[in-house]
Amino acid sequence: MNENMTRKGFVALTGATSLAAFLAACGGSSSDSGSSAADSGSSAANSGDAQAEGISSEEAAAGGSFDPASEPGGPIEVFTWAGYDDSEKDGAPWMWSQYQEGEYNADSPLKFTFLEDDGQALAKVGSGYAPDIIHPCIAYVVQWKEGGLIQPLDMALLPDYSGIPEAISAGGLVDGVQYIVPFDVGFSCLTYDADKINFDNVGGEESWEVLLDDRFKGRMALFSDDVAVIKIGHLINEGAVDPNVQTSEQIAAAKETALKIKLNLRNYWTSQTETVNDFVNGNLDATYTWPDGFWKIKNHEKMKGRNIKYMQPTQGRLAWVCGMVLHSASKQPGRATMAMAATNTPAAGALLTDKFQYASAQQNGVMDLIEDKALISAFDIDKPEAWAPPKAWFEAPLPNYKEFVTAGQEVKAS
Amino acid sequence: MATIAETPTPPAPKRRRSRRETRNDGGSAVSTYGLLAPMLIVLGILFLAPLYYIFLFSVGLKRFSPTDALASLNGELNAFSTELWTKLISVDVTVLIPGLNFDVPVLVVGIVFVVLLITAVTAGRIPEYGSWIVGVAFVLLLAPFLTFPAGNNLLRLVEFSSEGQYMRLFFKSVSMAMTSSVVAVLIAIPVAYFLAFCVGKSKYTWLLIVIAPFLTSYLLRVFAWKVILGDQGLINSGLTTIGLIDEPLTFLIYSQFTVIIVLTYAWVPFICLPIFLSFETIDRRLLEAAMDLGATRMQAFRKISLPIIAPGIVAAFLFVFIPSIGEYITPTLVGGTQGTMYGQSLANQFVGGAFNWQFGSVMSLFLLGIVLLLTFTTSRFLRAGGGGL
Repeated sequence: MNENMTRKGFVALTGATSLAAFLAACGGSSSDSGSSAADSGSSAANSGDAQAEGISSEEAAAGGSFDPASEPGGPIEVFTWAGYDDSEKDGAPWMWSQYQEGEYNADSPLKFTFLEDDGQALAKVGSGYAPDIIHPCIAYVVQWKEGGLIQPLDMALLPDYSGIPEAISAGGLVDGVQYIVPFDVGFSCLTYDADKINFDNVGGEESWEVLLDDRFKGRMALFSDDVAVIKIGHLINEGAVDPNVQTSEQIAAAKETALKIKLNLRNYWTSQTETVNDFVNGNLDATYTWPDGFWKIKNHEKMKGRNIKYMQPTQGRLAWVCGMVLHSASKQPGRATMAMAATNTPAAGALLTDKFQYASAQQNGVMDLIEDKALISAFDIDKPEAWAPPKAWFEAPLPNYKEFVTAGQEVKAS
Repeated sequence: MATIAETPTPPAPKRRRSRRETRNDGGSAVSTYGLLAPMLIVLGILFLAPLYYIFLFSVGLKRFSPTDALASLNGELNAFSTELWTKLISVDVTVLIPGLNFDVPVLVVGIVFVVLLITAVTAGRIPEYGSWIVGVAFVLLLAPFLTFPAGNNLLRLVEFSSEGQYMRLFFKSVSMAMTSSVVAVLIAIPVAYFLAFCVGKSKYTWLLIVIAPFLTSYLLRVFAWKVILGDQGLINSGLTTIGLIDEPLTFLIYSQFTVIIVLTYAWVPFICLPIFLSFETIDRRLLEAAMDLGATRMQAFRKISLPIIAPGIVAAFLFVFIPSIGEYITPTLVGGTQGTMYGQSLANQFVGGAFNWQFGSVMSLFLLGIVLLLTFTTSRFLRAGGGGL
């Protein structure tokens, strides 16, 4: 360093260095920020490049065509929900075993990171994170596709795909091209303690309206999901009518109902484990859960002798399908698709029910493979009518998604 | 004989400067500012650059969605617009004082508080009534936001409500953060006084004991409160066992009360430090002189100690208030539906289902502006060395 540097000189040097660093950091965006219509951000640039590298537009329209053998090695990153990794202790190694026993695992091992919910996953990947495989729910496939974040599948690498009923796989089609390998299917509904919660004030039958019953004020909880909050309000307002299809007026009305529900709620939970703990520790008598949450509460040591039920409301349960999609920037789309294929086998589907109490999108021979047959009847897995309107309303792409979210946000912020 | 005036003054001999002096001349700037250089560079990259991005997001010059189609689906702005700022700021605030309700634009409320803040900072220089004016300004600044427990509910002297959910949430967060800060400072002052004056040589051991909770994970401490305050937690079980209550006190968990309690608990150990250091600067002879002249302990504290520790109190207050107003973890874990804070809503714009980075940026910049304003005005107060107090 120049020993004779003056204070002024040093300040100028530091300023110049900082300015250079600042401009370097901003450079990528400053050039495109002015023309935001064309602005794709770095992630889009990545995905666009990758799409250009991986598949042509013609191929995309017809579906991908990958050659796993010619792909470079390296880890295949899987961005999934907690518990779906290959950990022997608290994961689901059986989901991935077919791939991990195969020829490419040594060269392209699986590496797992965890998402919190669909919104967080889309935000994270949309802002530049590029895993190979992502595990969103099927209702969001349109958004992933519109964001240029996923690419069509090579169906030739998915030999068991035909075992998924069309009613389920149709949700992953965009412009006639399939983007998702549906994997897990489940309900979203209230788990409640029947000794403490009753439906006397709402006609005696199980109903979402119980959330408005102030006899149970402070003893109930819902999932902190903006869309679900509004859908529940709609089901209470309109009865067994598809909550995915709502006009602006219906959303406004559902929001008003959700605001009334909020007065009776103890909290909006962000982690199912959190609400299960609250329930078994006596802080709640009813909470929104997925099937595994209900099962954990029902079979918890502290709940012995308690009459824990999973509500089948007159308006219908909410239901969802999630699955694996392929990032458009994946450098190993073929091998990643083979890993996705591992989750689509009948064996993995059966274990999904045995281990997680979810139904499987793969239904080819799965019922026979499920070991704990009690689970089949507990969740009506073998009864198609239990999974169709008006008993259950599957998530679907929402053309006015923004309105749902804004209303849900305002309910929680009020 | 030559006069002194006539005598030419010989030029002062040039003193040969030592090597050390020479080195200091040229090198001092480098060595002094060199210490700052990494921070300035980090500040540029990790603060100013993101700030620039956030500004672009806030006025629609940048968007989250990588494609037009997704931007359209998410309802994002595609060109320069102040629409989102208008959505947040152009709202009326209903001021609910018992027996008197009136609506005013939020900007008017902001101007009133800025005037009060500047008064609190500068009025101490006014002779005779200065300290009274400062005191009144502080009371008017703090009192509207303070929260008091009342049975299962919380009461405020003044409620700020608004049709704009986010502005209403902001005022609620200010209130919760303000209450936590004031309570934490009130708890920390006697603790710091005890450490400074009552425990002699073992004061640093005691200080370590006081700040010991700060050495554990914040998340663990918040979860510990869930165990303590739950319906079947320590407090409810204890009260039930001794027969004081039949049903659990439900307001103890998942409420604004819980958030205030946990925030207060979390910050008290930390703010004991600046107040303790302020007490340490007091010349004990001043207190002895005051006592010799007939002052009571309280008078000595009010006339001597309090003005000296005032900067420490203000610093401590800011240490709690600034991070608390944007709190995310605590209200998420123990706030329930009633204890929601501005920081949660802000975070949800970025990483929740909202996908609304543009509005999240507006919320962020608004909060940053408030914090900067507060820091700037109170830093003047700190330089005044206790100002009006």
